[in-house]
Amino acid sequence: MAYVITEACIDAADKACREECPVDCIYEGDRMLYIHPDECVDCGKCVTACPNGAIASEYKLTAELEQFKDVAVEFFETFPQAEGGAEDVGPLGADHPVVASWPSGGAAG
Amino acid sequence: MTLLDDSTPDTATRELTVLGACPQDCPDTCAMVVTVRDGVAVDVAGSKEQPYTNGGLCVKVDNYLDKVYHPDRVLHPLRRTGPKGAGEFERITWDEAIAEIAARFTQVKEEHGPETIMPVSYLGTQGIINGLNVGDPFFNRLGATVAERTYCDSGSCTAYAMTIGDTAGVDPESLVHSKFILIWAANIMSTNLHLWPYIAEAKKRGAKVVVVDPVRTKTARQASQHIPIRPGTDGALALAMMHVIIEEGLTDDEYIAQYTIGYDELVERVQQYTPEWASEETGIPVETIRTLAREYATSQPSVIRIGVAVERHAGGGQTVRTLSCLPALVGAWRNPGGGILQLPLWAFPVNWPAFMHPELQTPGTQVVNQYLLGQALTGELELRTPLHALMVYNSNPVVVAPDQATLLEGLSREDLFTVVSEHFITDTARYADIVLPATTQLEQEDIMFSWGHLYATYNNPSIEPRGEAVPNTELFRRLAAAMGFDDDPIFTRTDQEMIAEAFDWSSPAMEGITVESLKEKGWARLSVPSPDEYAPHREGNFRTPSEKTEFLSSAAAGGNFVVPLFRQGSNDHQPGQPVDPLPHYIPPRENASADPDLASRYPLNLISPKSHAFINSSYANIEFHQKVQKPATLIINPDDAAERGIENGAVVRAFNDRGSVELLAKVDASTMPGVTVCYVGHCRSDALGLSTLSSLNPTRFADLGNAPTFSDTLIEVAPVGAGEA
Repeated sequence: MAYVITEACIDAADKACREECPVDCIYEGDRMLYIHPDECVDCGKCVTACPNGAIASEYKLTAELEQFKDVAVEFFETFPQAEGGAEDVGPLGADHPVVASWPSGGAAG
Repeated sequence: MTLLDDSTPDTATRELTVLGACPQDCPDTCAMVVTVRDGVAVDVAGSKEQPYTNGGLCVKVDNYLDKVYHPDRVLHPLRRTGPKGAGEFERITWDEAIAEIAARFTQVKEEHGPETIMPVSYLGTQGIINGLNVGDPFFNRLGATVAERTYCDSGSCTAYAMTIGDTAGVDPESLVHSKFILIWAANIMSTNLHLWPYIAEAKKRGAKVVVVDPVRTKTARQASQHIPIRPGTDGALALAMMHVIIEEGLTDDEYIAQYTIGYDELVERVQQYTPEWASEETGIPVETIRTLAREYATSQPSVIRIGVAVERHAGGGQTVRTLSCLPALVGAWRNPGGGILQLPLWAFPVNWPAFMHPELQTPGTQVVNQYLLGQALTGELELRTPLHALMVYNSNPVVVAPDQATLLEGLSREDLFTVVSEHFITDTARYADIVLPATTQLEQEDIMFSWGHLYATYNNPSIEPRGEAVPNTELFRRLAAAMGFDDDPIFTRTDQEMIAEAFDWSSPAMEGITVESLKEKGWARLSVPSPDEYAPHREGNFRTPSEKTEFLSSAAAGGNFVVPLFRQGSNDHQPGQPVDPLPHYIPPRENASADPDLASRYPLNLISPKSHAFINSSYANIEFHQKVQKPATLIINPDDAAERGIENGAVVRAFNDRGSVELLAKVDASTMPGVTVCYVGHCRSDALGLSTLSSLNPTRFADLGNAPTFSDTLIEVAPVGAGEA
């Protein structure tokens, strides 16, 4: 577990972070992107790449965004095929239930 | 360059962007961009312009401000008020501190001789003016004992120099052209992160990436293949690769004929190193060894990336000798992206003599290796002159030097006068008589080489020094003046004057680069061919006496040596023992075949790789970094854990004849059976049982360059509460 994508990515996935990630560990769900907790190497490049300010270190999350840590862990438990490089895996077309049920228009634009 | 928007009204926030450089002892030497608002640094980020940094720092330095503004920073000189080690101090002025140090150094010098004083330092900051050699002119003139600093790559450098000379070798950016990348004992993801995108690009273009490492690190997991190997047996694998390459005729005979010496002798030598023999030694299947050798030889250009770990066992020097021979055997040097990547530092024309000033040394001055500091202080090491005073800067030996218990005993001596210049009251500073406040990189000016890429970097200061902190350069100017050394202009040089001397600016590598251009732009690629063209040894031109790869090393005739850069420029009292001029295998000292009795009592290997969130002991006291790195753990294979009744998360005791350490067990198959892992750097003051892994590490040297043997360590592990003390 390292960097975590949060609420501001929902329905606003810009994907700039994926260009920057040196280990291709940012996987595409349906409404947002997810950083693989075991593959992330803590370089932090995605944080500055994200135009929505959606990414933070797991240790620097605000209380309301804490849940996105579990969202990431559970997402990759649900989709074990999402490993070894996001480019090869491609879009998964589904989300963690928290994200799937997130009200639309709720994310920062 | 400093940018200030002058149109900003004075009442508004004034924001500056300052171009700096990461100070840490890491191959990546990132170009940093510091944002300063109203005199306070508010952000530290990686330069987006410098291609190698490419916009990112790392988990250590992204959070550099946590260190700069940490409430525990030492901001004023301090004098000890309690017992040694208690960490009780009172504030004093700089004048009082300097006067006391000068008086004590003078007294010790007069009563016992200058060699009873010794500097203790390394690369806590890596800038050319504040780093490795910052105290050398002062201590050389004083006549103090010469500190031999062989923490990192000293044995590797001796071996590499004996084989191909002090060459940059491969440009890391050329790795995109490599077809076969052999990462040997290096966890790139934690210790050389900015190299990975080049490897990833090569992989995307079809290169095979193989990692040789006892541990399935994050790097190993990203590779095409991971080959686990028993610690300290790397030389056996490398020699067996040679055996296969020669036996199967996979050599580049034309390259060998033109650009190497000693091939016939090498052929004869490696006959004995069969894959079957190496398999027994390394634990790697025979077919894996053969396939590795074949693919390495036939996928050109192939490159070997070695880290610093590969030298850390009894035969570390010969391991690097063998690895440095391999590229010539297969003609890897012919193309960009082929060869061996060790320390491209050698591409930088650093003006080392201007920083060491070895001519100030008294010929024959005693040399003490810093691993032996504890033994030197306690009398276990026989010295011509025992030590009465230490000055520690850029280093935290209690955590990074081996044999912690002996070192603590030595530092506790009431008759020892110890000065420590630091950012924090470290485990070493607790034993100081005087603590001096040092600046961080944001508060000082410096100019940087790199030992991982081909860019020079400039560090513009971005904020005023906190409290009364001073750069190391200023500390030594003050001390030199107090000791009366300021009759020599060497000791009154300003930082700007030192920076002007940092490189040989007339060297071809510096063409088009000036102090001013570096300061303005923040960085510059050395004037060398582009990564698409860089192949300095396409036609030999090695920096050896023969200008060839020396399978049969002529430098070996002079015996074992430490590169003088790591010993204040001194060439006196070199280790000097005879060195076999051909690559050969030296097994680990602490293993079952070399020492069956020891291995029966302590059956598990211990290796101590570099941490992900700390760099050596730096950042180990910062809360964020502690959260990322987690408490000190011992990673142990599930089979070994089960045999000892150890459960994941339990407190265990790791011990051998040298010491004992309490750690949290992490039961995990990422390490091989028989091999335990403890990442280096945690503070002793935070440790269970007040002991860290350096208590377990040996002080003995590897075969070349007095390299450490930290990976040549056997231990036993028991759940706490069980087993003998």
